Amino acid sequence: MHILGIDSSCDDTSASVVDESYTIISNIVSSQTEIHKKYGGIVPELASRKHIEMIWPVVDEALSKACLKLDDITALSVCYGPGLIGSLLIGCGFAKAIAYAKGIPLIAVNHLEGHIFSAFLDNNKPEFPFLALIASGGHTSLYVVEGFGMYSELGRTRDDAAGEAYDKVAKLLGLGYPGGPIIDKLAHEGNARTFDFPRAYLPESFDFSFSGLKNAVRLEVSKHSKDISNRAIIADIAASFQSAVVDVLVRKVEWAIVKKDIKRVVLSGGVSANNGLRKKMSEMAGERGIELFMPSIALCTDNAAMIAAAGLHHFKSGNLASLDLNPKAYLPL
Amino acid sequence: MEKVLKLLSESESETVAFGRKIGEYAKGKKIPVCLYGDLGAGKTTLIKGIGSAFGISERDICSASFLIVAEHESVPPLYHIDLYRIEGREALHELGIWEYLEGEGVAVVEWAERLEDRPPRALALFIKADGMDRRLITIEDFDEEDWNNL
Repeated sequence: MHILGIDSSCDDTSASVVDESYTIISNIVSSQTEIHKKYGGIVPELASRKHIEMIWPVVDEALSKACLKLDDITALSVCYGPGLIGSLLIGCGFAKAIAYAKGIPLIAVNHLEGHIFSAFLDNNKPEFPFLALIASGGHTSLYVVEGFGMYSELGRTRDDAAGEAYDKVAKLLGLGYPGGPIIDKLAHEGNARTFDFPRAYLPESFDFSFSGLKNAVRLEVSKHSKDISNRAIIADIAASFQSAVVDVLVRKVEWAIVKKDIKRVVLSGGVSANNGLRKKMSEMAGERGIELFMPSIALCTDNAAMIAAAGLHHFKSGNLASLDLNPKAYLPL
Repeated sequence: MEKVLKLLSESESETVAFGRKIGEYAKGKKIPVCLYGDLGAGKTTLIKGIGSAFGISERDICSASFLIVAEHESVPPLYHIDLYRIEGREALHELGIWEYLEGEGVAVVEWAERLEDRPPRALALFIKADGMDRRLITIEDFDEEDWNNL
């Protein structure tokens, strides 16, 4: 059995072939970061155009790496949201056309479900139940996963996503895009105790909030507007900001572990590639005897292998999509 | 002199309550809302209130910087638009922004300064932070009487 996954939800065009045991046969990701870098963020219509250009070559490459033809594909799994609507349309339109022309069953996958499934692509697969933290540029949500298709949301961001806070702070500090890796790297040079930025723990809730933190950084930056080119100060702000984000993410997961009495945690989403977060989460997991599943960096960020993996499960349970599938920009899991 | 309404909010929940009244007004008149305010000024909070007038739960409204357009399937639909990352006329055009502004729903536009012209009939809302909790909200071409009649 071979599932062809397609993801075009944001700025990366990706196609992947995964087999019935969640083994990745091929996983091609064409990143647009270089294109969007000079604009300080993803430009939606540029992303859509690039998706149109890249979708065939990326799918071709995924098939040829897997030594397969379209006729060998058992089912086509496509991400239909959440994401940028113009980008999603390309992936969905493409998948529907192929499914129709070749008579291949079509599966619709929620991008967030895909992120949860990225944990199944590693050799060490989590058992149910587990907690899943998805932190990226567009999402910051915490789920209890009881089984395939059984997700209950414990909390989500009330304002900005964690990755969005990274991008906005990087912009405030004049550091460029994407903010996550740049701040992560710079944070190692700085002192995280220099600035005491607020941590929104929101007692009695598993929700997140990063807007107050962003605002506090903005106020701090405006105080140092004269020496904004001073690398030491910028590094201290970056380190203090990162430590505030990481503290909140780790503490929330820790609370959920205690409250829900669940001993397994899955991290996913672009922010899960952050070294500071991986380190602190590992320490917490070690202290509490928690099994922590952190997919490799390539599987934390957007990729089609996770869409194929989630699609595999839907296919097995006979949950197919019809050809009138429409993508949705806003699509909670 | 043009009339201007100034509101002072002392808390997040008060900002949400102001948003709700503004939302009721925009929904009734079916007019777009242009929102102006710096990072961290409280735009998302205000929109949570506007959304509540459309029956949208507060937790379903968060920052739209990533999506640019978050379409809520309320009656009428609410288009939560965030132009923070949009620069230039062409980008705006390709976004289909005008279709949202003249669509069947009500559009709320954050970073409306990115629009070259304010859409006709749009309500112009300015929000400014004054310390951690206090927010100053200004509505153009609106007065106390209009507000009290809501």
